Amino acid sequence: MKQYSNPQREIAQQLIRAVGIDGAIYYAHQNQWEGIVTQIRNPHATAMNRTLTLETGKPARRRSALIGVLVAGIIATAMPSLAAAEIDRATWRPEASERLIKLPGAYLKKAIDHDFAGSELAAALGDVETDINLKNQTLSDLQAATDQANGELRTELQHQFLAEKREYLRLVGERQDLVRRQLNTKIRVYERLLKKLDREGAGMTPAREALQENQKKARERFENSVANVDMQLFGGSAASESKYAREYAKNLVAIETLVQAIKEHPMNTQTEIDGQPVSKQDYLRQLISESESELAVIDQEETILGYMAKLIGLDATALSEEVAEANVTDDDLSSETANITSAVDFFITR
Amino acid sequence: MKMKWISILMVAWVLCGAALGPAQADTLENMERERAILLDALLSPGLTVAEREGRITISKTRLIDLERMVLRDKSLMGRNTPTVRAAFENYDLTFLVHATAEKNLALIDHWLHEVGVSTPALMNARIGRR
Repeated sequence: MKQYSNPQREIAQQLIRAVGIDGAIYYAHQNQWEGIVTQIRNPHATAMNRTLTLETGKPARRRSALIGVLVAGIIATAMPSLAAAEIDRATWRPEASERLIKLPGAYLKKAIDHDFAGSELAAALGDVETDINLKNQTLSDLQAATDQANGELRTELQHQFLAEKREYLRLVGERQDLVRRQLNTKIRVYERLLKKLDREGAGMTPAREALQENQKKARERFENSVANVDMQLFGGSAASESKYAREYAKNLVAIETLVQAIKEHPMNTQTEIDGQPVSKQDYLRQLISESESELAVIDQEETILGYMAKLIGLDATALSEEVAEANVTDDDLSSETANITSAVDFFITR
Repeated sequence: MKMKWISILMVAWVLCGAALGPAQADTLENMERERAILLDALLSPGLTVAEREGRITISKTRLIDLERMVLRDKSLMGRNTPTVRAAFENYDLTFLVHATAEKNLALIDHWLHEVGVSTPALMNARIGRR
Protein backbone atom coordinates (compact mmCIF):
# COMPACT_ATOMS: atom_id res chain seq x y z
CA MET A 1 0.00 0.00 0.00
CA LYS A 2 2.76 2.36 0.94
CA GLN A 3 4.65 1.53 -2.24
CA TYR A 4 1.57 2.31 -4.32
CA SER A 5 0.82 5.65 -2.67
CA ASN A 6 4.34 7.07 -2.78
CA PRO A 7 4.60 7.62 -6.58
CA GLN A 8 1.29 9.45 -6.58
CA ARG A 9 2.45 11.71 -3.81
CA GLU A 10 5.72 12.34 -5.62
CA ILE A 11 3.91 13.29 -8.84
CA ALA A 12 1.52 15.47 -6.85
CA GLN A 13 4.44 17.28 -5.23
CA GLN A 14 6.17 17.75 -8.55
CA LEU A 15 3.00 19.10 -10.09
CA ILE A 16 2.49 21.53 -7.21
CA ARG A 17 6.06 22.67 -7.49
CA ALA A 18 5.78 23.13 -11.22
CA VAL A 19 2.49 24.95 -11.61
CA GLY A 20 1.16 25.73 -8.15
CA ILE A 21 -1.68 24.01 -6.32
CA ASP A 22 -4.49 25.36 -8.52
CA GLY A 23 -2.71 24.45 -11.73
CA ALA A 24 -1.86 21.00 -10.38
CA ILE A 25 -5.49 20.29 -9.43
CA TYR A 26 -6.64 21.53 -12.83
CA TYR A 27 -4.15 19.38 -14.73
CA ALA A 28 -4.85 16.27 -12.63
CA HIS A 29 -8.60 16.76 -13.15
CA GLN A 30 -8.14 17.09 -16.88
CA ASN A 31 -6.30 13.77 -16.97
CA GLN A 32 -8.68 12.15 -14.46
CA TRP A 33 -5.88 11.38 -12.02
CA GLU A 34 -8.12 11.11 -9.01
CA GLY A 35 -5.43 9.62 -6.78
CA ILE A 36 -3.13 12.53 -7.53
CA VAL A 37 -5.93 15.02 -6.90
CA THR A 38 -6.39 13.42 -3.47
CA GLN A 39 -2.66 13.72 -2.84
CA ILE A 40 -2.64 17.37 -3.94
CA ARG A 41 -5.48 18.13 -1.60
CA ASN A 42 -3.72 16.27 1.21
CA PRO A 43 -2.32 18.98 3.50
CA HIS A 44 0.60 16.74 4.43
CA ALA A 45 1.69 16.48 0.79
CA THR A 46 1.33 20.21 0.33
CA ALA A 47 3.26 21.01 3.46
CA MET A 48 5.95 18.56 2.42
CA ASN A 49 6.18 20.25 -0.93
CA ARG A 50 6.75 23.60 0.73
CA THR A 51 9.53 22.09 2.83
CA LEU A 52 11.07 20.63 -0.28
CA THR A 53 10.97 23.94 -2.07
CA LEU A 54 13.01 25.61 0.60
CA GLU A 55 15.58 22.89 0.98
CA THR A 56 18.66 23.01 -1.20
CA GLY A 57 21.56 20.96 -2.44
CA LYS A 58 20.25 17.39 -2.11
CA PRO A 59 20.60 15.25 -5.25
CA ALA A 60 17.18 13.54 -4.84
CA ARG A 61 15.47 16.87 -4.48
CA ARG A 62 17.37 18.24 -7.44
CA ARG A 63 16.15 15.35 -9.56
CA SER A 64 12.58 16.02 -8.41
CA ALA A 65 13.01 19.67 -9.25
CA LEU A 66 14.19 18.82 -12.73
CA ILE A 67 11.21 16.52 -13.22
CA GLY A 68 9.07 19.41 -11.97
CA VAL A 69 10.50 21.73 -14.60
CA LEU A 70 9.80 19.08 -17.24
CA VAL A 71 6.20 18.68 -16.06
CA ALA A 72 5.83 22.46 -16.01
CA GLY A 73 6.89 22.56 -19.63
CA ILE A 74 4.34 19.91 -20.55
CA ILE A 75 1.58 21.65 -18.63
CA ALA A 76 2.48 25.06 -19.95
CA THR A 77 1.90 23.75 -23.45
CA ALA A 78 -1.18 21.68 -22.61
CA MET A 79 -3.14 24.03 -20.34
CA PRO A 80 -3.53 27.04 -22.61
CA SER A 81 -5.05 24.97 -25.40
CA LEU A 82 -7.57 23.34 -23.05
CA ALA A 83 -8.55 26.62 -21.43
CA ALA A 84 -8.66 28.45 -24.74
CA ALA A 85 -11.10 25.90 -26.14
CA GLU A 86 -13.39 26.36 -23.15
CA ILE A 87 -13.23 30.13 -23.39
CA ASP A 88 -13.95 30.10 -27.13
CA ARG A 89 -17.12 28.14 -26.44
CA ALA A 90 -18.36 30.67 -23.86
CA THR A 91 -21.03 32.86 -25.39
CA TRP A 92 -23.57 35.51 -24.50
CA ARG A 93 -26.44 36.08 -26.91
CA PRO A 94 -28.82 38.66 -25.50
CA GLU A 95 -31.82 39.72 -27.56
CA ALA A 96 -32.99 43.27 -28.15
CA SER A 97 -36.59 42.28 -27.36
CA GLU A 98 -39.69 44.43 -27.17
CA ARG A 99 -39.69 43.86 -23.40
CA LEU A 100 -36.34 45.61 -23.14
CA ILE A 101 -37.62 48.57 -25.15
CA LYS A 102 -40.63 48.94 -22.89
CA LEU A 103 -38.56 48.83 -19.69
CA PRO A 104 -37.81 52.14 -17.97
CA GLY A 105 -34.36 53.39 -19.02
CA ALA A 106 -32.81 52.91 -15.58
CA TYR A 107 -33.82 49.25 -15.54
CA LEU A 108 -32.75 48.53 -19.09
CA LYS A 109 -29.09 48.41 -18.13
CA LYS A 110 -29.86 46.28 -15.07
CA ALA A 111 -31.84 43.82 -17.21
CA ILE A 112 -28.94 43.46 -19.66
CA ASP A 113 -26.42 43.06 -16.84
CA HIS A 114 -28.67 40.45 -15.23
CA ASP A 115 -28.92 38.58 -18.54
CA PHE A 116 -25.13 38.63 -18.82
CA ALA A 117 -24.71 37.32 -15.26
CA GLY A 118 -26.57 34.15 -16.25
CA SER A 119 -24.56 33.55 -19.43
CA GLU A 120 -21.69 31.16 -20.21
CA LEU A 121 -19.50 34.16 -20.92
CA ALA A 122 -20.02 35.48 -17.39
CA ALA A 123 -19.23 32.05 -15.96
CA ALA A 124 -16.02 31.88 -18.04
CA LEU A 125 -15.10 35.39 -16.95
CA GLY A 126 -15.68 34.42 -13.32
CA ASP A 127 -13.45 31.35 -13.74
CA VAL A 128 -10.67 33.39 -15.30
CA GLU A 129 -10.96 35.99 -12.51
CA THR A 130 -10.59 33.19 -9.94
CA ASP A 131 -7.60 31.78 -11.83
CA ILE A 132 -6.00 35.23 -11.91
CA ASN A 133 -6.45 35.63 -8.16
CA LEU A 134 -4.95 32.19 -7.55
CA LYS A 135 -2.12 33.00 -9.92
CA ASN A 136 -1.46 36.18 -7.99
CA GLN A 137 -1.13 34.10 -4.85
CA THR A 138 1.16 31.62 -6.61
CA LEU A 139 3.34 34.46 -7.88
CA SER A 140 3.53 35.95 -4.42
CA ASP A 141 4.50 32.55 -2.91
CA LEU A 142 7.09 31.92 -5.61
CA GLN A 143 8.59 35.37 -5.16
CA ALA A 144 8.92 34.80 -1.42
CA ALA A 145 10.42 31.34 -1.98
CA THR A 146 12.91 32.69 -4.57
CA ASP A 147 14.11 35.34 -2.13
CA GLN A 148 14.89 32.65 0.43
CA ALA A 149 16.45 30.09 -1.92
CA ASN A 150 20.07 29.86 -3.09
CA GLY A 151 22.09 28.27 -5.87
CA GLU A 152 20.55 25.91 -8.35
CA LEU A 153 17.17 25.88 -6.62
CA ARG A 154 17.02 29.66 -6.81
CA THR A 155 17.64 29.46 -10.57
CA GLU A 156 14.96 26.86 -10.89
CA LEU A 157 12.51 28.97 -8.84
CA GLN A 158 13.33 32.01 -10.96
CA HIS A 159 12.54 29.92 -14.00
CA GLN A 160 9.23 28.87 -12.46
CA PHE A 161 8.53 32.45 -11.48
CA LEU A 162 9.01 33.52 -15.12
CA ALA A 163 6.76 30.70 -16.31
CA GLU A 164 4.09 31.71 -13.81
CA LYS A 165 4.34 35.33 -14.86
CA ARG A 166 3.86 34.27 -18.47
CA GLU A 167 0.85 32.24 -17.40
CA TYR A 168 -0.48 35.23 -15.48
CA LEU A 169 -0.22 37.38 -18.60
CA ARG A 170 -2.03 34.72 -20.59
CA LEU A 171 -4.88 34.70 -18.07
CA VAL A 172 -5.11 38.49 -18.05
CA GLY A 173 -5.16 38.41 -21.86
CA GLU A 174 -8.01 35.90 -21.74
CA ARG A 175 -9.90 38.07 -19.30
CA GLN A 176 -9.46 41.02 -21.62
CA ASP A 177 -10.74 38.98 -24.56
CA LEU A 178 -13.81 37.98 -22.57
CA VAL A 179 -14.45 41.51 -21.36
CA ARG A 180 -14.01 42.80 -24.91
CA ARG A 181 -16.49 40.20 -26.15
CA GLN A 182 -18.93 41.23 -23.42
CA LEU A 183 -18.58 44.94 -24.24
CA ASN A 184 -18.93 44.39 -27.99
CA THR A 185 -22.09 42.34 -27.42
CA LYS A 186 -23.45 45.04 -25.11
CA ILE A 187 -22.78 47.72 -27.70
CA ARG A 188 -24.50 45.63 -30.38
CA VAL A 189 -27.59 45.19 -28.15
CA TYR A 190 -27.74 48.90 -27.30
CA GLU A 191 -27.40 49.81 -30.98
CA ARG A 192 -30.16 47.37 -31.94
CA LEU A 193 -32.43 48.84 -29.26
CA LEU A 194 -31.64 52.34 -30.46
CA LYS A 195 -32.49 51.38 -34.04
CA LYS A 196 -35.79 49.83 -32.92
CA LEU A 197 -36.67 52.98 -31.00
CA ASP A 198 -35.78 55.12 -34.02
CA ARG A 199 -37.90 52.88 -36.24
CA GLU A 200 -40.89 53.40 -33.92
CA GLY A 201 -40.50 57.15 -34.37
CA ALA A 202 -39.97 56.78 -38.12
CA GLY A 203 -43.60 55.67 -38.55
CA MET A 204 -44.63 59.34 -38.43
CA THR A 205 -45.75 60.76 -41.76
CA PRO A 206 -45.73 64.56 -42.25
CA ALA A 207 -49.55 64.58 -42.10
CA ARG A 208 -49.56 62.66 -38.83
CA GLU A 209 -46.88 64.89 -37.39
CA ALA A 210 -48.92 67.95 -38.34
CA LEU A 211 -52.02 66.41 -36.76
CA GLN A 212 -50.21 65.67 -33.51
CA GLU A 213 -48.82 69.17 -33.47
CA ASN A 214 -52.32 70.61 -33.97
CA GLN A 215 -53.71 68.39 -31.22
CA LYS A 216 -50.96 69.46 -28.89
CA LYS A 217 -51.61 73.13 -29.61
CA ALA A 218 -55.37 72.65 -29.14
CA ARG A 219 -54.88 71.02 -25.75
CA GLU A 220 -52.45 73.69 -24.65
CA ARG A 221 -54.85 76.43 -25.72
CA PHE A 222 -57.69 74.70 -23.90
CA GLU A 223 -55.67 74.21 -20.71
CA ASN A 224 -54.56 77.83 -20.74
CA SER A 225 -58.03 79.22 -21.29
CA VAL A 226 -60.22 76.80 -19.35
CA ALA A 227 -60.33 78.91 -16.18
CA ASN A 228 -61.39 82.04 -18.08
CA VAL A 229 -63.88 80.05 -20.12
CA ASP A 230 -65.42 78.59 -16.96
CA MET A 231 -65.69 82.06 -15.46
CA GLN A 232 -67.27 83.32 -18.65
CA LEU A 233 -69.74 80.44 -18.96
CA PHE A 234 -70.63 79.66 -15.34
CA GLY A 235 -69.38 82.70 -13.40
CA GLY A 236 -72.39 85.03 -13.18
CA SER A 237 -75.16 83.18 -14.90
CA ALA A 238 -77.64 80.72 -13.56
CA ALA A 239 -76.04 77.97 -15.65
CA SER A 240 -74.46 75.33 -13.48
CA GLU A 241 -71.81 72.79 -14.24
CA SER A 242 -72.97 69.62 -15.92
CA LYS A 243 -72.83 66.17 -14.38
CA TYR A 244 -69.88 65.36 -16.65
CA ALA A 245 -67.96 68.42 -15.42
CA ARG A 246 -68.60 67.57 -11.76
CA GLU A 247 -67.66 63.91 -12.14
CA TYR A 248 -64.62 64.80 -14.22
CA ALA A 249 -63.37 67.24 -11.57
CA LYS A 250 -63.86 64.60 -8.87
CA ASN A 251 -62.01 61.95 -10.85
CA LEU A 252 -59.26 64.37 -11.79
CA VAL A 253 -58.15 64.61 -8.14
CA ALA A 254 -57.89 60.83 -7.95
CA ILE A 255 -56.03 60.70 -11.29
CA GLU A 256 -53.54 63.37 -10.20
CA THR A 257 -52.84 61.47 -6.96
CA LEU A 258 -52.24 58.26 -8.91
CA VAL A 259 -50.07 60.01 -11.51
CA GLN A 260 -47.96 61.47 -8.71
CA ALA A 261 -47.60 58.00 -7.16
CA ILE A 262 -46.54 56.59 -10.55
CA LYS A 263 -44.00 59.38 -11.00
CA GLU A 264 -42.49 58.65 -7.59
CA HIS A 265 -42.50 54.88 -8.03
CA PRO A 266 -38.95 53.47 -8.00
CA MET A 267 -39.68 51.31 -11.07
CA ASN A 268 -40.59 54.43 -13.00
CA THR A 269 -37.56 56.56 -12.20
CA GLN A 270 -36.64 58.65 -15.18
CA THR A 271 -33.19 58.16 -16.60
CA GLU A 272 -30.78 60.93 -15.75
CA ILE A 273 -27.32 61.92 -16.90
CA ASP A 274 -25.54 64.28 -14.51
CA GLY A 275 -28.86 65.01 -12.81
CA GLN A 276 -30.53 65.98 -16.08
CA PRO A 277 -33.50 63.89 -17.21
CA VAL A 278 -32.88 62.37 -20.64
CA SER A 279 -34.83 60.39 -23.20
CA LYS A 280 -34.38 56.64 -23.65
CA GLN A 281 -32.49 57.22 -26.89
CA ASP A 282 -30.07 59.59 -25.18
CA TYR A 283 -29.61 57.15 -22.32
CA LEU A 284 -28.84 54.32 -24.79
CA ARG A 285 -26.31 56.55 -26.56
CA GLN A 286 -24.72 57.25 -23.17
CA LEU A 287 -24.52 53.49 -22.44
CA ILE A 288 -22.90 52.88 -25.85
CA SER A 289 -20.39 55.63 -25.17
CA GLU A 290 -19.59 54.16 -21.72
CA SER A 291 -19.01 50.71 -23.22
CA GLU A 292 -16.79 52.24 -25.92
CA SER A 293 -14.73 53.97 -23.26
CA GLU A 294 -14.34 50.68 -21.38
CA LEU A 295 -13.10 49.11 -24.62
CA ALA A 296 -10.60 51.92 -25.01
CA VAL A 297 -9.30 51.24 -21.48
CA ILE A 298 -8.98 47.53 -22.35
CA ASP A 299 -6.91 48.53 -25.40
CA GLN A 300 -4.68 50.62 -23.16
CA GLU A 301 -4.32 47.73 -20.72
CA GLU A 302 -3.18 45.61 -23.63
CA THR A 303 -0.24 47.97 -24.04
CA ILE A 304 0.59 47.43 -20.37
CA LEU A 305 0.41 43.67 -20.96
CA GLY A 306 2.77 44.09 -23.91
CA TYR A 307 5.30 45.86 -21.72
CA MET A 308 4.94 43.18 -19.04
CA ALA A 309 5.56 40.49 -21.66
CA LYS A 310 8.63 42.35 -22.85
CA LEU A 311 9.94 42.49 -19.28
CA ILE A 312 9.39 38.74 -18.94
CA GLY A 313 11.37 38.24 -22.14
CA LEU A 314 14.20 40.41 -20.81
CA ASP A 315 14.12 38.59 -17.46
CA ALA A 316 14.27 35.26 -19.30
CA THR A 317 17.24 36.44 -21.36
CA ALA A 318 18.97 37.67 -18.21
CA LEU A 319 18.30 34.37 -16.47
CA SER A 320 19.63 32.34 -19.38
CA GLU A 321 22.73 34.56 -19.47
CA GLU A 322 23.15 34.04 -15.76
CA VAL A 323 22.83 30.26 -16.12
CA ALA A 324 25.18 30.22 -19.10
CA GLU A 325 27.69 32.29 -17.15
CA ALA A 326 27.45 29.92 -14.25
CA ASN A 327 28.01 26.96 -16.58
CA VAL A 328 31.16 28.55 -17.96
CA THR A 329 32.93 27.79 -14.67
CA ASP A 330 36.29 28.77 -13.34
CA ASP A 331 37.44 25.20 -14.01
CA ASP A 332 36.85 25.77 -17.74
CA LEU A 333 38.86 28.98 -17.70
CA SER A 334 41.57 27.58 -15.45
CA SER A 335 41.82 24.49 -17.62
CA GLU A 336 42.45 26.74 -20.58
CA THR A 337 45.17 28.58 -18.64
CA ALA A 338 46.54 25.29 -17.44
CA ASN A 339 46.77 24.09 -20.98
CA ILE A 340 48.93 27.07 -21.95
CA THR A 341 51.17 26.96 -18.92
CA SER A 342 51.60 23.27 -19.25
CA ALA A 343 52.73 23.86 -22.80
CA VAL A 344 55.51 26.17 -21.60
CA ASP A 345 57.44 23.11 -20.58
CA PHE A 346 57.49 22.08 -24.15
CA PHE A 347 59.31 25.28 -25.04
CA ILE A 348 61.81 25.53 -22.27
CA THR A 349 62.99 21.95 -22.32
CA ARG A 350 65.07 20.46 -25.04
CA MET B 1 -92.02 25.27 -38.92
CA LYS B 2 -89.09 24.55 -36.67
CA MET B 3 -86.65 25.69 -39.33
CA LYS B 4 -88.57 28.92 -39.71
CA TRP B 5 -88.23 29.68 -36.00
CA ILE B 6 -84.54 28.92 -36.09
CA SER B 7 -84.00 31.27 -39.00
CA ILE B 8 -86.01 34.03 -37.25
CA LEU B 9 -83.88 33.59 -34.12
CA MET B 10 -80.68 33.73 -36.15
CA VAL B 11 -81.77 36.94 -37.89
CA ALA B 12 -82.71 38.46 -34.52
CA TRP B 13 -79.33 37.45 -33.08
CA VAL B 14 -77.48 38.96 -36.05
CA LEU B 15 -79.48 42.17 -35.73
CA CYS B 16 -78.75 42.35 -31.99
CA GLY B 17 -75.06 41.86 -32.72
CA ALA B 18 -75.15 44.57 -35.35
CA ALA B 19 -76.90 46.89 -32.95
CA LEU B 20 -74.46 46.24 -30.11
CA GLY B 21 -71.32 46.32 -32.26
CA PRO B 22 -70.95 49.93 -33.31
CA ALA B 23 -72.42 51.29 -30.08
CA GLN B 24 -69.02 52.70 -29.07
CA ALA B 25 -69.34 56.46 -28.71
CA ASP B 26 -67.24 58.66 -30.97
CA THR B 27 -66.74 61.91 -29.11
CA LEU B 28 -65.77 63.83 -32.24
CA GLU B 29 -68.79 62.66 -34.18
CA ASN B 30 -71.13 63.56 -31.31
CA MET B 31 -69.59 66.98 -31.04
CA GLU B 32 -69.83 67.62 -34.78
CA ARG B 33 -73.50 66.63 -34.72
CA GLU B 34 -74.27 68.93 -31.81
CA ARG B 35 -72.38 71.80 -33.41
CA ALA B 36 -74.37 71.34 -36.61
CA ILE B 37 -77.55 71.59 -34.52
CA LEU B 38 -76.22 74.76 -32.89
CA LEU B 39 -75.37 76.33 -36.25
CA ASP B 40 -78.77 75.36 -37.54
CA ALA B 41 -80.33 77.13 -34.55
CA LEU B 42 -78.15 80.19 -35.19
CA LEU B 43 -78.95 80.45 -38.89
CA SER B 44 -82.43 79.00 -39.24
CA PRO B 45 -84.69 81.85 -40.47
CA GLY B 46 -87.94 80.20 -39.40
CA LEU B 47 -87.31 80.40 -35.63
CA THR B 48 -88.63 83.01 -33.24
CA VAL B 49 -86.17 84.78 -30.93
CA ALA B 50 -87.35 82.77 -27.93
CA GLU B 51 -87.14 79.48 -29.79
CA ARG B 52 -83.67 80.32 -31.10
CA GLU B 53 -82.52 81.37 -27.62
CA GLY B 54 -83.84 78.16 -26.06
CA ARG B 55 -82.25 75.88 -28.68
CA ILE B 56 -78.92 77.74 -28.53
CA THR B 57 -78.78 77.43 -24.73
CA ILE B 58 -79.45 73.69 -24.84
CA SER B 59 -76.86 73.08 -27.59
CA LYS B 60 -74.29 75.31 -25.94
CA THR B 61 -74.58 73.47 -22.63
CA ARG B 62 -74.13 70.15 -24.41
CA LEU B 63 -71.26 71.45 -26.51
CA ILE B 64 -69.29 72.64 -23.48
CA ASP B 65 -69.03 69.05 -22.32
CA LEU B 66 -68.65 67.54 -25.77
CA GLU B 67 -65.81 69.87 -26.74
CA ARG B 68 -63.98 69.03 -23.53
CA MET B 69 -64.50 65.35 -24.14
CA VAL B 70 -62.93 65.67 -27.58
CA LEU B 71 -60.00 67.67 -26.27
CA ARG B 72 -59.37 65.08 -23.55
CA ASP B 73 -59.99 62.03 -25.74
CA LYS B 74 -56.69 60.12 -25.89
CA SER B 75 -58.01 57.80 -28.60
CA LEU B 76 -57.93 60.72 -31.02
CA MET B 77 -54.20 61.34 -30.47
CA GLY B 78 -52.47 60.73 -33.79
CA ARG B 79 -55.58 59.16 -35.37
CA ASN B 80 -54.78 60.28 -38.87
CA THR B 81 -58.25 60.36 -40.49
CA PRO B 82 -59.64 63.22 -42.62
CA THR B 83 -62.29 64.00 -39.95
CA VAL B 84 -59.79 64.23 -37.11
CA ARG B 85 -57.30 66.18 -39.24
CA ALA B 86 -59.97 68.70 -40.26
CA ALA B 87 -61.24 69.00 -36.68
CA PHE B 88 -57.87 69.97 -35.26
CA GLU B 89 -56.84 72.22 -38.13
CA ASN B 90 -59.04 75.07 -36.91
CA TYR B 91 -59.59 75.30 -33.15
CA ASP B 92 -61.81 78.37 -33.45
CA LEU B 93 -64.33 76.64 -35.70
CA THR B 94 -64.22 73.17 -34.15
CA PHE B 95 -64.34 74.14 -30.49
CA LEU B 96 -66.78 76.90 -31.14
CA VAL B 97 -68.19 77.44 -27.63
CA HIS B 98 -64.78 77.51 -25.94
CA ALA B 99 -63.24 79.78 -28.55
CA THR B 100 -66.19 82.15 -28.28
CA ALA B 101 -65.99 82.29 -24.49
CA GLU B 102 -62.23 82.76 -24.70
CA LYS B 103 -62.66 85.79 -26.98
CA ASN B 104 -65.72 87.03 -25.12
CA LEU B 105 -67.82 87.26 -28.29
CA ALA B 106 -71.33 86.25 -29.27
CA LEU B 107 -71.49 82.83 -30.89
CA ILE B 108 -72.82 84.06 -34.21
CA ASP B 109 -70.27 86.89 -34.44
CA HIS B 110 -67.40 84.56 -33.78
CA TRP B 111 -68.63 81.94 -36.25
CA LEU B 112 -69.28 84.49 -39.03
CA HIS B 113 -65.85 86.01 -38.46
CA GLU B 114 -64.21 82.62 -38.72
CA VAL B 115 -65.97 81.70 -41.95
CA GLY B 116 -65.01 85.09 -43.39
CA VAL B 117 -68.32 86.91 -43.28
CA SER B 118 -67.89 90.45 -41.99
CA THR B 119 -69.88 93.70 -42.30
CA PRO B 120 -67.56 95.23 -44.97
CA ALA B 121 -67.63 91.93 -46.88
CA LEU B 122 -71.44 91.92 -46.81
CA MET B 123 -71.60 95.59 -47.79
CA ASN B 124 -69.36 94.92 -50.78
CA ALA B 125 -71.29 91.87 -51.85
CA ARG B 126 -73.46 91.99 -54.96
CA ILE B 127 -76.22 89.72 -56.05
CA GLY B 128 -75.23 87.79 -59.14
CA ARG B 129 -75.33 84.47 -60.89
CA ARG B 130 -72.50 82.06 -60.19
